[in-house]
Amino acid sequence: MPEVPETLGAPEALLEVKGLSVRYDTAVLLNDVTLRVDAGETVGLVGPNGAGKTTLLRTVAGLVHWEREKKRGTRAGNIVIEGQVVFGGQRIDRLPPHGIARLGLVLVPERRRPFRELSVLDNLRAGAYLVRDPKEVTRALETVYGLFPILRERGGQLSGTLSGGEQQMLAIGRALMTRPRLLCIDEPSTGLSPRVRREVLAKIKDIGRTGITILLVEQDVSLAFALTTRNYILSHSRVVAEGTSEELMADERLRQRYLGVAGTA
Amino acid sequence: MVRYLNWLWREFKGEILVLPGRSILFFGAVALLALPLVFRHPYALRVLTMASIFAIFAASWDLISGVVGQLSLGHAIFFGTAAYTSALLNLNAGLPPVVTIPLGALAAVVAGLAVGIPCLRLKGQYLSLATLAFPIILAGLVMVFSSVTGGELGVSGLTRLAPTRLKEYYVAVVAAIVLILAVWKITDSKVGIIFHAIREDEVAARASGINTPLYKVLAFCLSGLFAGLAGGLYAHYMRIAGPSTLSVLTSFQPIIWVIFGGIATIYGAVVGVFVLFPLVEVLRVAPELRMLLYAASIVLVLRFMPEGLAPWVIDRLERKCPRCKEHNAFTRRACRVCGTALRVPQEKGVPSGG
Amino acid sequence: MLGNILVNALMNAGVYAMLAVGFSLMFGVARIINLAHTAFYMVAGYCIFYLVSTAGLPLPLAILISIVAVVVLAVVVYRLLIDPMREHETTVLILTIALALVLQEAMLLWFGGYFRSVPAATAGYATILGVRVSFQYLLTLGVLAGALVAVWFVLMKTKLGLAIRATAQDREIAEVMGMDESRTATLTVAIASALAGLAGAIVAPLYILEPRMWLNPLTIVLAIAVLGGLGSLKGSLFGAAIIALAESLVVFLVPQGAFLKGAFSLGIMILVLLIRPEGLFGVAFEEER
Ligand SMILES: Nc1ncnc2c1ncn2[C@@H]1O[C@H](COP(=O)(O)OP(=O)(O)OP(=O)(O)O)[C@@H](O)[C@H]1O
Ligand SMILES: [Mg+2]
Repeated sequence: MPEVPETLGAPEALLEVKGLSVRYDTAVLLNDVTLRVDAGETVGLVGPNGAGKTTLLRTVAGLVHWEREKKRGTRAGNIVIEGQVVFGGQRIDRLPPHGIARLGLVLVPERRRPFRELSVLDNLRAGAYLVRDPKEVTRALETVYGLFPILRERGGQLSGTLSGGEQQMLAIGRALMTRPRLLCIDEPSTGLSPRVRREVLAKIKDIGRTGITILLVEQDVSLAFALTTRNYILSHSRVVAEGTSEELMADERLRQRYLGVAGTA
Repeated sequence: MVRYLNWLWREFKGEILVLPGRSILFFGAVALLALPLVFRHPYALRVLTMASIFAIFAASWDLISGVVGQLSLGHAIFFGTAAYTSALLNLNAGLPPVVTIPLGALAAVVAGLAVGIPCLRLKGQYLSLATLAFPIILAGLVMVFSSVTGGELGVSGLTRLAPTRLKEYYVAVVAAIVLILAVWKITDSKVGIIFHAIREDEVAARASGINTPLYKVLAFCLSGLFAGLAGGLYAHYMRIAGPSTLSVLTSFQPIIWVIFGGIATIYGAVVGVFVLFPLVEVLRVAPELRMLLYAASIVLVLRFMPEGLAPWVIDRLERKCPRCKEHNAFTRRACRVCGTALRVPQEKGVPSGG
Repeated sequence: MLGNILVNALMNAGVYAMLAVGFSLMFGVARIINLAHTAFYMVAGYCIFYLVSTAGLPLPLAILISIVAVVVLAVVVYRLLIDPMREHETTVLILTIALALVLQEAMLLWFGGYFRSVPAATAGYATILGVRVSFQYLLTLGVLAGALVAVWFVLMKTKLGLAIRATAQDREIAEVMGMDESRTATLTVAIASALAGLAGAIVAPLYILEPRMWLNPLTIVLAIAVLGGLGSLKGSLFGAAIIALAESLVVFLVPQGAFLKGAFSLGIMILVLLIRPEGLFGVAFEEER
């Protein structure tokens, strides 16, 4: 069905979140969140612990909806999702995660979550699950190896035995294997040494340069702002500010309240 | 005296009559006690006697598996240990049931230690599947030492639980009421709160300074105690303790009753037994189809009441106060404890955050 | 003597492995403890009995039909009853017990409580290591080995296998990578029940059929799955070998060993768990929220 472009959105809006609210029973995890990511952008999403950043990414990737469907009728099943998530002009808030993956939206989850008992290569293959043509899989593999040469060396190793930094590279590589249009990355630098942190973020910048759109959640604001084009600040389940890195950094109030103590883990 | 009666009545009204769920249980117990006054069909008495004994067994399973969350697939170990111990003491040492049943229960407590301590290291499904092993191992030993245990045939010819059928009935019913109330009191006590906490989040419970291994072993012993009392009562009532008391199906029975009735509630265990056990007997009208219909009805009921029968009924008869979480009869408009209005169907007021 | 023990152990190990692998896969992917797993094995046995003895079909055809029937039955039951209840873990537990009882009673109703047996496919025997081994045994061993290799191939070399292994590890992330968890789980149930069906089919000529024949293998399979590590294929294979060998040793060497074989294997399981609480090749499942 051809999508009628909405008046307020520029035609290249890849992801639009409109008035999204998420509640688990009586706990409000997201409250009327609206944001957009245009094609080609690298958008940052920052905010204090417990602000709802992970919840936002999980909702966009379809995991919250999926959890709700599975747990319907159980005591933990009272999950409410309101509002819309539109990806590439199509509503995705009622799709299962694998349907969303098929459209080209992929999540690099918090805590990396490699398939621990699978080898590095199998993890990457799992990422390429939806790619039918074996030649394309090989090509994607080469791209990922080009970006993270260490993964080629570690191909046969069980991913659970990789170091934290290597696991993060694997998680990003696995997501790239799906050949995504939008890459949602949740806290890639947590738990890494400053050097590896910078390295990982630099790689993310490289990925952004290849034309892949990125939505990046990051604790380390100064590192994140160095590579994002635009940012949202989320606090207490709401979007409290939006703007380019310079704009946000220039605002004394925001800097003190949300961005000030950034940089330390 | 009058004042005391008055107080009793007020307590009764305030604690039992206010809630439909409690009223049902109370009048159910009264009915059980009063039944023989009007109706003494030996078969019916037998079914209810057995149901009472099994209700204790079911409640003991709910204590460890439902309340503490250590899902046991091998509860027959306690039942069988106690049954055999009571039987052997009765036959070989000539002790009367009042002595053998508690001693049997003591043996079950020891079994609780034997199961609980090794299982401390195990979690979740591993624990469940490991517990399954214990009664089977014991059953193997029972078969090998058949000169003592009677092997396949078991130990038979025990002293009766009480001299007459009616007395046996009252022994079982009173024991059930007292013991199940005791289990319920435990789950409602300070220890019970810790038990619930262990089920909800063991790591958090330990982090807040609770010696969780100790409490888990305690729970195994308590559960063993009550299951053992049921096992001893059963042995003396049936006048036999055989390998079937240790079988896998004996382990599965309480699981079926409790989950059907509603897990982690104790009263659900009682409801499950008193619905399902007589049901099996009623189904004797179609002997070949009996088990089939039994299993099929369980499957059907659970398909539509996945949390079990009792919670389903309670959900319809009682309403939880949104503010203080106390239960209220469905007829009330305001909470009996804090006065909050109750008549808001489903739509939970969502506090706007921020 | 030793030869006898080995031959016997090998055979049992194969059957146990087929049952345990299926059980373990189903646990890993669909997260259900399926206590009715061996009941499907029993149904397959009876199915063959009916098709061969009453309908007069040749054994290979009967085996094929039985497996298909068991798979269809298992998948239908799974989709209709188990899948909608999966979040109610304890409810699933007794649903599977009830299901096993239903199948047991259905068999009792149709075939009675008698012991039944199915004629062997081949007659004659060979002598290996001084032990007389019937051709039926050898044939069975061959089929077992073939089936296990096939499972290994599917799991390790196909996309479905990759999805099964990934979903068993972390079903959320598997979904995020585009794997349809519900489809994977259903296919896993199909594979597991096909293995149970095949196990039932090939032992039907060697063992005796009766409506309670699911109980003993069930405890053994649980022991193997736990011993090897829930969800681990390698663990199921090793566990099956260990338990089968232990059983054979007990039966042949210990007086009254037949009574003790269950106790002995379960004792081994508990010992292993005390040393390694997650089993020999246990998979630490990623915590999900
Ligand atoms: N399943 C749940 N049920 C109830 N509350 C939840 C659930 N999951 C998360 N929360 C709560 O929702 C809030 C937002 O969580 P979320 O993980 O989205 O925060 P975050 O911004 O990613 O934080 P962090 O920076 O620490 O990763 C937290 O307060 C969290 O405790
Ligand atoms: Mg987070």
